[in-house]
Amino acid sequence: MNEVYLAGVGMTAFGVHAERTLVDLAGEAAGLALADAGLEPGRVDMGFFASATAAPLFKDVTVGQNVFWSVGINQIPIFNLENACTSGSAAFYLACNAIAAGQARAVLVVGGEKMCVPEAGLLNSGATELDTQLGLVTPASFAMRAVRHMAEFGTTAEQMAAVAVKNREHASFNPMAQFRKPTNVAEVLGSPMIADPLTRLQCCPIADGAAAVLLCAKEAVPSLDRCLRVRAWAYGTGDYANPQDMARWGTDYRVCASAYALAGMQPADLDLIECHDAFTIGEILHYEALGLCAPGEGGKLAASGDTALGGRIPVNVSGGLLSRGHPPGATGLAQVWELATQLRNEAGERQVAGAGTGLAHCMGGDKDGDAKSCTAIIITN
Amino acid sequence: MHSEGTAQLPPVAPGIFTTGQEGEGSSLLGGACPACDRDFFPRPSRCPLCLGAIDEKNLGSTGKLYTFTVVRVKPSWGLPCPYGVGYVDLDGSGLRVLGLLDPESLDRLEIGLPLRLAVGEMGVDLRGNPCLRPFFQPAEEGAHE
Repeated sequence: MNEVYLAGVGMTAFGVHAERTLVDLAGEAAGLALADAGLEPGRVDMGFFASATAAPLFKDVTVGQNVFWSVGINQIPIFNLENACTSGSAAFYLACNAIAAGQARAVLVVGGEKMCVPEAGLLNSGATELDTQLGLVTPASFAMRAVRHMAEFGTTAEQMAAVAVKNREHASFNPMAQFRKPTNVAEVLGSPMIADPLTRLQCCPIADGAAAVLLCAKEAVPSLDRCLRVRAWAYGTGDYANPQDMARWGTDYRVCASAYALAGMQPADLDLIECHDAFTIGEILHYEALGLCAPGEGGKLAASGDTALGGRIPVNVSGGLLSRGHPPGATGLAQVWELATQLRNEAGERQVAGAGTGLAHCMGGDKDGDAKSCTAIIITN
Repeated sequence: MHSEGTAQLPPVAPGIFTTGQEGEGSSLLGGACPACDRDFFPRPSRCPLCLGAIDEKNLGSTGKLYTFTVVRVKPSWGLPCPYGVGYVDLDGSGLRVLGLLDPESLDRLEIGLPLRLAVGEMGVDLRGNPCLRPFFQPAEEGAHE
């Protein structure tokens, strides 16, 4: 199996880009990733484009071919991928597979959304699903996990709010984040209730934006100087067993364990983590699945400071989805962008000292009380 | 909300509940695989474990609230604002199913609350037409039935 190298990353600012098209945003990210790697567009031999909302919001299909030609890439195999919140990271997974298998040498993965439009409602798992027609929306799904976690483990609203406060503090050091103003526990808990007990500041905002990464086989890497190694790429879907334990997310645990096993690593080997904090309770559940603490101890960990910049294992030093905003096609790649910036020691005020190993974790979809997808990626410098 | 069985409206989805005489005795309808001894809700078109045929199964009308939330943002499908949803552990089958909760009982929600199924007009279907939805209400609400 060929080794997989991360040769370049690119990202637009996340926010409202009312005057720009999805192809324009995604093309900018793609161009930045190529320039970062120093690779000629003509050398790219496979492409992936990830978007979860282009089809439902705009009836746009095969957007990827438009994006890639906008940066001069044609003729090669290009795939368009929708996988809800893991659209970007699932495309990353496929790109790694292609390089590992020797099917491609330079794969450009681009993800983006233009979703700050009036038609965008809350994300759900598909209009024709019975759960959706019975009122299940993504914030409700996580709110119900929160209610259960609070009842079983004594997790408090203040501990959940601590996640939002921490990630916003991190974002204050990140010029690429959408929301950078620090907040506090009282403000988080006092913001409007979305789905009890999750308030607005505990739910990630949407955003327009795009991110891109260039993955290469060793012989295709233009320069090894700033190049990083992808040590593990794990992807699993839900088990859909009934009943689901909503305070101990089996699919989350299983995929995280798979990533550690593939990399031959343990939680203690990580220097930083970007995880799927679409909702504050999500980050707490992921702490437990990632093995940062014992099951049920995630709330205490959130309030301890151990996962803040300067702590034992900083989580979401970018500000996370809660501060960056969540364009699903771009999110998984934006997490990799942050890892790359940190592992190259280029993160400025939010730099994790001595960062050598990072993990990016993403989850998406909702089915039968389980996730539809979960990814975990481990990268080293 | 006590409007079950009062209207000749279509269900939000076919085959997910049955209503008795004048709406009393509403039950969830699911499926059972006789070979795998497993129950499902909603009824799948084939057993996902053995791909064999699925029998219709009455999953009853009672259960206990496993977890819940109240959604306070503008709802889809013309649902009430706010509205409650929860996962309910059904008596008998033990299935944990998602269900709407009685909009008039949102202040009484707690884990373990005994619930009984009701069916009533609530919101609209995929085509935007008024429809019946199943929802759970505190069990003692239906004690007179």
